[in-house]
Amino acid sequence: MRSLVLSLLLIAGLPGISSAGYREDFAREFMSKTWSGERIEENACIDCHASERMKPVFREIVDEWRKSWHAQNDITCHDCHGGDPKDPSLAMSHQQRGFIGVPPYAKIPDLCGRCHVGILRYFNESGHGKALRTSGKGPHCVVCHGSHNIQKANIEIISEQRCSKCHTYGRAQDMKQAMFLVEKKITEIEDGIKALRRAGIYPEEQEQAFFSTQAEFRTLFHTVDVNLVKERTGEYTRKLDDIEKGISGTFADLRSRKNFSGFLMLLVSGMGVVMLLLSKTPKE
Amino acid sequence: MWDRVRNWLDVRIGINDLVEEEVRAYRVPKNINIFYTLGVVTIAGYLIQVITGILLLIYYVPHPDHAFQSVQGIMNKVPFGWLFRQMHVMGSNLLIGVVFAHMLTVFLMGNYKRPRELTWIVGALLLFVSVAFGFSGYLLPWTQLSYWATTVATAIPTAVPYMGDLVANVLRGGESVTGATLSRFFAFHISILPPIFLMLLGLHLFLTKRIGISGTPFGLSAEEKRPWTEYHKKNHPDGYPYYPRFFQKDLFMVMVYLAVMFFLITFAPNLFFPGDATMPADPYRTPASIRPEWYLLAPYQMLKIIPNKFLGVIIQVALFVLFLFWPFFDTEKEKNIMKRPFLRGMFLAAFALWVILMFWGRS
Repeated sequence: MRSLVLSLLLIAGLPGISSAGYREDFAREFMSKTWSGERIEENACIDCHASERMKPVFREIVDEWRKSWHAQNDITCHDCHGGDPKDPSLAMSHQQRGFIGVPPYAKIPDLCGRCHVGILRYFNESGHGKALRTSGKGPHCVVCHGSHNIQKANIEIISEQRCSKCHTYGRAQDMKQAMFLVEKKITEIEDGIKALRRAGIYPEEQEQAFFSTQAEFRTLFHTVDVNLVKERTGEYTRKLDDIEKGISGTFADLRSRKNFSGFLMLLVSGMGVVMLLLSKTPKE
Repeated sequence: MWDRVRNWLDVRIGINDLVEEEVRAYRVPKNINIFYTLGVVTIAGYLIQVITGILLLIYYVPHPDHAFQSVQGIMNKVPFGWLFRQMHVMGSNLLIGVVFAHMLTVFLMGNYKRPRELTWIVGALLLFVSVAFGFSGYLLPWTQLSYWATTVATAIPTAVPYMGDLVANVLRGGESVTGATLSRFFAFHISILPPIFLMLLGLHLFLTKRIGISGTPFGLSAEEKRPWTEYHKKNHPDGYPYYPRFFQKDLFMVMVYLAVMFFLITFAPNLFFPGDATMPADPYRTPASIRPEWYLLAPYQMLKIIPNKFLGVIIQVALFVLFLFWPFFDTEKEKNIMKRPFLRGMFLAAFALWVILMFWGRS
């Protein structure tokens, strides 16, 4: 009996010993990724700025950011301003944590351009960028897009009210007209992707293609070169048409699925009726 | 060809006698009703889950980096993958509904009473295993909904003092829902629950066959009024033959089950796929509303409204024990619920409370 117990213990123990290394690898692999559940519970910037000890003007920054497109995409304070949201004591340390705070006026495009690289390149080549570089007074990102309550870019940013603060609206209007058709298609595709999601489909392929195409197109706008935008409109329209075709194809798939499951429903219903009639037939 | 196969089997395992004895000569009571088919419908439902589950298993990857993508692949790239997944998801919900209905009709007809106490207990355990199947399968697509619903559900044991955290950690494989949780739930769903389920189902069928079908729905026979001193099987020599009459009724109800399933797949394909169920899990972004599947909504809402979480868990455990061992709590001989106003009132109140909590939890 004793030998049986010892044998069983040995058999049970061996895999444990042999898998000891594997367990560590497993824990390292499974617990150290973003999906491991490690969450930033506290953000020193938000905690402090949202508190009562801040002046209302600084408190509003948090409220504005919460409504922004950045907040919806998990872009938080330190992504732009540097610093360390996990360490309240050094959160605003310029030297140790690279805190930027409010950037100088002319340096704002460089700050935004750390993420929006393509836009920065076109902006610097544009009249807007050249004016800013030479005089230090030209328009920069915040002038058109705002700072903390930044919303998703759309064609309505080009408006007489906004543009005529610095110059006449005529050229900006030409640009808006040049962009109109492509922007309309962008909106339609956005709606199509939303509809697919409502239908239970996650159109990752189309979403990725759409994201890069519309981002490229909107990047191009920052050249403020109407002729260039007109020239390349055809290229973007073709790309967007392909995406639209993919979305339509998925909808067609959904319709054929519906027809097929409807057919199966009728088939089993018919078999059910046959079974019911058979069970009602008098038996010997 | 068929006759040769049959003959081949007959000389080896006596299949003709077996069919004669178990199918043709097997008789069911004359006053049997349509609710008696729910057991067979449940088995058919489980069979569909097994077949579709195996087909999904071929393409599913149980890793947090690939689980969501693999499910999307099943839905959009694998030929008829969408159908198998829809059948599996709809089937899991319908099945729990049918098991509920089966137990409800057994309860209303008083067929849990002596000598069928064990059959009831095993049936209740089967319901529990079915819910466990649903709960463990819910996480596998690794969507926002499944991730956060599991986060909430696995936090429930933490309400129990001393050992609650340990239980939650064992369930999750750590402090929070991670890849380790996905691995655990996957193993639980496909390799731990199925053998437990098969054992319980085998026992349930054995007990049903060994004790015999109750021939007195809504009533009590003179035989059942006498003290139960020795085993005897309930036979129905004057009843209808099971085959073909009742077999066809069973098949009819299985077809109804399938028709309902395909109706939902056709006209309400997103019934169990709300918005967050089509988004990949994101541990950094909590969805606006987290809620479990419909069959767990009432207990979930009950836990939410009871201020003391430990008390909430204790009440739920007590209710589960009451449900599991109900045949031993209800010692009245009368089977007809219409002749038992107190039990009827209690049942209606409990049912109404369940429905209210379910809709409250959903809102």
